[in-house]
Amino acid sequence: MSHHTTRAVKNGFDEAVVLAELRHYLPTQTPLKDFIHHNSLHAFQELNFYDAIFKASGIFGFKVTFNLDEYRGLFHIGRIREDILDQVIGDRKGVSAIPEWKQKTLTQPYPEGIQPRIGRLRKGWKNVCQLDLDNLVQPVLFRILASYMDQGVAVWHFPFEDKGLLEALRLVDTNSFAGFFRSKRVRDILFDPQRCTMDYLLKELVGDESFYEQYIFDQQFSHRGWSGMAATLEQQPHSILYPKKITLREVIILELLLEMDALDTYFGRKWQPLCSQFAAEPLDLFAPVDNTELQEVYRIWQDAFEWSYYDEVLAALQHVKNSRTAEPRTHRHFQAIFCIDEREDSLRRHLEAMDKDGETFGCPGFFGVEFFFQPEHGKFYEKLCPAPVTPKYLIKEFGTKGHRKQELMYDKKSHTHLLGFLSTLSLGFLAVVRLFLTIFRPKMSPAISNAFAHMNVDGQLTIENKHPDDKENNLQIGFTVDEMAARVEGLLKGIGMVDDFAPLVYVVAHGSSSANNPHHGAHDCGACSGRPGSVNARVFSFMANHAKVRELLAGRGLVIPATTQFVGALHDTAADEIAFYDEKEISPANAVAHLKNKQTFEHALDMNAKERSRRFASINTKADLGKVRQAIRRRSVSLFEPRPELGHGTNALCFVGHRSLTKGLFLDRRAFMNSYDYRIDPDGKLLLGVIRPLPPVCGGINLEYYFSRLDNYKLGAGTKLPHNVMGLIGVTNSSDGDLRPGLPLQMIEVHDPVRLLILVEHDPEVVLKTIKTEPTLYEWFEKEWVQLVAIHPANNQFFRFKNGRFERYSPLKNQVKHAGDMKKLIETADGMKTNFIVDATRENLPVQVLTVED
Amino acid sequence: MNQYLPYFTLLPLLGMAICAFLPGRSERLIFLTSVVTVGLHILAMLVYGVLWLLGQEAIYFFEGPILYQTHDSHFSIDFFFDRVTAAYGLTASVLTFLVLIFSRYYMHRDRGYKRYFTNVMFFFGGLNLALFAGNFETLFIGWEIVGVTSFFLIAYYRDRYLPVKNALKVVSLYRVADAALLLGIWLCHHSFERNIKFYELLDAHMLFTHFTENPVYVVVISSIFLLVAMVKSAQVPFSSWLPRAMEGPTTSSAIFYGSLSAHIGVFLLLRTFPIWEDSHVFRGIVVFIGLITSLMATMTARVQSTVKTQIAYSSIAQIGLMFVEVAMGWHLLLLFHFIANAFLRSYQLLVSPSVLSYEIHDQFFHFNPPKHPDPKTWWGKIRLTFMVWSIKEWNLDALMFRYLWTPLKTIGRALGFISVRAIVLLITPVFLVGLFLVYNRPQVPSLVQEVLPSAMALLGILLALKAFTERGKAQLNWSLVIMNQLFSALSIGLNEQFDHGQILLFLSGIVVSGAVGFWCMWKLERSGELVTLDRFHGHSFYYPGLAFVFMLASLGLSGFPITPTFIGEDLLLGKIGERQLVLLSFTALSLILDGLVTFRIYARLFLGPNTKGYHEVAFRSS
Repeated sequence: MSHHTTRAVKNGFDEAVVLAELRHYLPTQTPLKDFIHHNSLHAFQELNFYDAIFKASGIFGFKVTFNLDEYRGLFHIGRIREDILDQVIGDRKGVSAIPEWKQKTLTQPYPEGIQPRIGRLRKGWKNVCQLDLDNLVQPVLFRILASYMDQGVAVWHFPFEDKGLLEALRLVDTNSFAGFFRSKRVRDILFDPQRCTMDYLLKELVGDESFYEQYIFDQQFSHRGWSGMAATLEQQPHSILYPKKITLREVIILELLLEMDALDTYFGRKWQPLCSQFAAEPLDLFAPVDNTELQEVYRIWQDAFEWSYYDEVLAALQHVKNSRTAEPRTHRHFQAIFCIDEREDSLRRHLEAMDKDGETFGCPGFFGVEFFFQPEHGKFYEKLCPAPVTPKYLIKEFGTKGHRKQELMYDKKSHTHLLGFLSTLSLGFLAVVRLFLTIFRPKMSPAISNAFAHMNVDGQLTIENKHPDDKENNLQIGFTVDEMAARVEGLLKGIGMVDDFAPLVYVVAHGSSSANNPHHGAHDCGACSGRPGSVNARVFSFMANHAKVRELLAGRGLVIPATTQFVGALHDTAADEIAFYDEKEISPANAVAHLKNKQTFEHALDMNAKERSRRFASINTKADLGKVRQAIRRRSVSLFEPRPELGHGTNALCFVGHRSLTKGLFLDRRAFMNSYDYRIDPDGKLLLGVIRPLPPVCGGINLEYYFSRLDNYKLGAGTKLPHNVMGLIGVTNSSDGDLRPGLPLQMIEVHDPVRLLILVEHDPEVVLKTIKTEPTLYEWFEKEWVQLVAIHPANNQFFRFKNGRFERYSPLKNQVKHAGDMKKLIETADGMKTNFIVDATRENLPVQVLTVED
Repeated sequence: MNQYLPYFTLLPLLGMAICAFLPGRSERLIFLTSVVTVGLHILAMLVYGVLWLLGQEAIYFFEGPILYQTHDSHFSIDFFFDRVTAAYGLTASVLTFLVLIFSRYYMHRDRGYKRYFTNVMFFFGGLNLALFAGNFETLFIGWEIVGVTSFFLIAYYRDRYLPVKNALKVVSLYRVADAALLLGIWLCHHSFERNIKFYELLDAHMLFTHFTENPVYVVVISSIFLLVAMVKSAQVPFSSWLPRAMEGPTTSSAIFYGSLSAHIGVFLLLRTFPIWEDSHVFRGIVVFIGLITSLMATMTARVQSTVKTQIAYSSIAQIGLMFVEVAMGWHLLLLFHFIANAFLRSYQLLVSPSVLSYEIHDQFFHFNPPKHPDPKTWWGKIRLTFMVWSIKEWNLDALMFRYLWTPLKTIGRALGFISVRAIVLLITPVFLVGLFLVYNRPQVPSLVQEVLPSAMALLGILLALKAFTERGKAQLNWSLVIMNQLFSALSIGLNEQFDHGQILLFLSGIVVSGAVGFWCMWKLERSGELVTLDRFHGHSFYYPGLAFVFMLASLGLSGFPITPTFIGEDLLLGKIGERQLVLLSFTALSLILDGLVTFRIYARLFLGPNTKGYHEVAFRSS
């Protein structure tokens, strides 16, 4: 990012520079139809983690750590361990300083609070002019922006959206008998290209050029949701279906015009620029934030909080490693490749427990195949791969059966006049019935976002390219055999699946069904741009089953037996349902085994549902498995359920290594797991490809949960309960409110904000060399936005990455918990009493070794 | 049959009382208590309704406890049941029942779980009191409860700025409606020279003879009730509060603003229909208002870009049509229309978060870019014009602000030159002189006697206006409100008929509430907190218990029916003579202002974001 270098030279107000800075600091969340997790404080990512968060807090007023009472509460319940606290203080301050700093962390009172820099200049209007400018301007501004960007809530669309915001306003003004400005002067400015500029308007409103930048920042950050959305749409116009031409600059000019309009209306023409009315120095918003002793205390506490958990994990890993005996190679019943998603941890554990001859793998859930997908009759393409990737391929669906039903209750006719009267009378009585059914018999309906509906199960896909010229909008339709082989090889080698193929290999994607949930995209697969990965699973299976692909692969030493078949599937992480695709293709020889495996999946899903149910107040975990499963399924289609599932809540770990590292451990669904076999990659060539997506994808998820948990009001979206869907692009709290990016309270309340710990099973030297290959990748580790531990395969020792190098770490904890009976573990676990952290964290179970398996 | 009527109100209030004493974390018990109560209510309604259908009588009436009685006034809690009660009552209980079940898991782990359920139950009790009311006084009590619970549910997320701001906005308008309703009751009282009961309104002959003798009353009384109905049912020009009330949890928005609360104005029109039935002009006016509202609200709904405000305006449009139906006498159709609209809008609101995925999916398969209106044609220009006006909500929100609140604020600010402390010092002797005159009336010249009550009331109003704009210490403003109340009492005391007991009754609640309020503020100050009115302090964050106590004090001080002040208020109003319009309007204005000021003090002290300490604080615009 170059904005800091440009900042250094201050030659008055440079519009382009300020706009670039604004775009950098504003939220970049795209419209909610696609939910891409990212670091909420991405703008500060070039700094070291703690420096960054305290700087962000000092400038924008975010709460970025717990407060002292909360940390001390965590210490008193044992969630932060004393030995770890000592170790952290020792590491940071030296062993001799432990008593002094322990007293500071544990008992010393500090005045806590945030006085952000942002907004101070803007307060001038209220303090000096006795005028609440925000109250006069924001409702109108939001209304215009909302109407302009609206994707289809309104029946009458805001016209001229292809001309740009200001031009549209001009056209509306000239072609109607009404306008949005009351002051004639302001209206004249709107039509005068010389004066309708930021420079001119700022001169009128602010006066002193040295305040311009601060003024603009104050102004735009008083509604960062709207400004961020405009900036995002400017840069990613394709993130909405109904195109709207808009720029951040136009939004600022419009707001400046509305401010002048309000001042003109309120004071007549007799008002002075803000800065001529009081004496103050302009504030450099981005000047360094002082490091205080209190900040040091927060750093110590947060480190101690994180390492109290990490240490427990490492101790358990050590135990498993030491007690592991070589597994005899048996005849595999099946293998299953899952997404690395931490929600699949429990399903994999149960599957392996149900069938000891089953084996599971993990890899990013787009399965290495990147493409756009066009459902039959669809008018647009959907990207099905990680957000930063731009695919060159298109997969089209054809031959589907059945149509999606319409939902009468959403019919816009009920909002019209006479038809509205008639439809009210008829729909009203239907609504009574619906309301009863909604509450007492929840079931799937067109109004509910259904993971399985993403792709039609009977449809066909254009996976194989017929001819290189077969293109649509510059996208090649399907993959050639070479391209397919490259992808299959890349994936299988990356996860270390190179021999001992089972007759059936399931490629299990995931998605999530939920009702009444504008944030449903955040529950789908992050590696598929916030969509279910069903198409990817099917496409990959097709490729891996392709005879010519196998021929090519065999030539490269990767021999897949002819009897082995890949089968695509989709796991609904909310409903705990699974669907298998192209079952007709399964050979008669494998058919029986497939039936049996399906049963195994069903049993595992039963247990998975039971395990998940322990966190849901509406379900009795001890009830009969069938009932629990039914309750979980109903939950995903219940309109009254704001927590259909808990998403990535509690995520904390990311394993890169063989499954045997974690097998037999109860990780409580907190670990992303990417399969990787160091033995076939001694010099780390494959490792780079495996690690590269992890910090942005898993780290992005982790940091978004982290910050939404710590400041759910400013960095999160607040509680879901009052959310109002705005223009199909976002949610607001009220009719005149700002857009709310970030995650809602219901998704983060179980989350313990600890940074992601990536654990790589390889020689630390190789790991270090690998992450240093790419500066953007290295930055994540160097600046400590994610933590890294290498597990040396030769001696089973742990090395943590710190200050640019790996150093030996031995877990302080020398005992591990033994879980005993899985059922009992689940059934006796406590639920949280409140969602304040000290209570909430008690619900998260410690890492333990499973001895008796179910 | 009659004697069972009060239980339809008592049952929910009992449920609320039990909820209020349950520990906040026992979600299950809170839920079960409320849902069982409302479930029983439905059963009772059904049984009662069937028996009523099978029975011979079209209406039931029950005279409840008499709260106060003198030779000329009679204040009793009466109950009444007819088909309007049946339709409204059953809809209300079924809807509340379903929404409560919906809320069970929807509200799970919300930090205000208990507050929410208790408020909904209180609302439901109040609503039933209004629906089953047998006279205007009873209706008024229920009405007040509905209003105040609305305030609490709009400001449910009390640590954010916008809910609090909008709750104040809504409750201010409600307060106008409440004062108007009291005026209407006063007029009825004078017109009929007794406290009229609803069954008496059905006596066409009585009404006919009565109103042919007093034709002016028909217009005045009906107009006042119409105004009340327009405010409560968000008709033009009062529409803009309804979309702004959608601040609480979706469930409360669904039950309140989508349906039950918003239709209560229509209910009032149905109740008072016999009074204005014979006035064709008046019926024409109601039709006109309903039509205009339905047209304007439909257009506004068409341009709404948020789902909830769109539903709010659609609901307003349908309620506008219901105004037409009342006036045209199509009451059976109206009842069906009401039931349908109430359920439809509630349902639409409850499922409103689904709209995003549904519509996006729909768009994915069926999107065609909409055409622009052709600006060259006349129709294109008109459409654009209507679109702009609709986006601006016809400036109704600004209009309310400009014509209702700005004048009051301007007067209040004009008093800015004089400090509150000086006022208290100056005004106390005036009060004492006034008090002296009350007991020595014969010595006062008759001309002075005539203007004195109004003058005292005016002084009271000025005090309240001062408090309305003051930003300094809350205690001083609190004392201004108390003094305003004292001056109201004084002005009545100086008026012709004087009854010691009634004034004491009126003042008893004021004194207690005033003292409790002072105590709360003293506690806050002693804990080192700021007790000023220059911004929202959000003290409920650290002092939730104190916030609750102060809220009770505020309600008491503003004459909410939890202290005897409320009865006193009604009685004192009754003391104002038929011709004393000046005194009457001053007293009414003072009532409105009292409410506004006390709610303002409560909100500024205890609601809004608390910026002290290190915890999450919402952005002002969120």
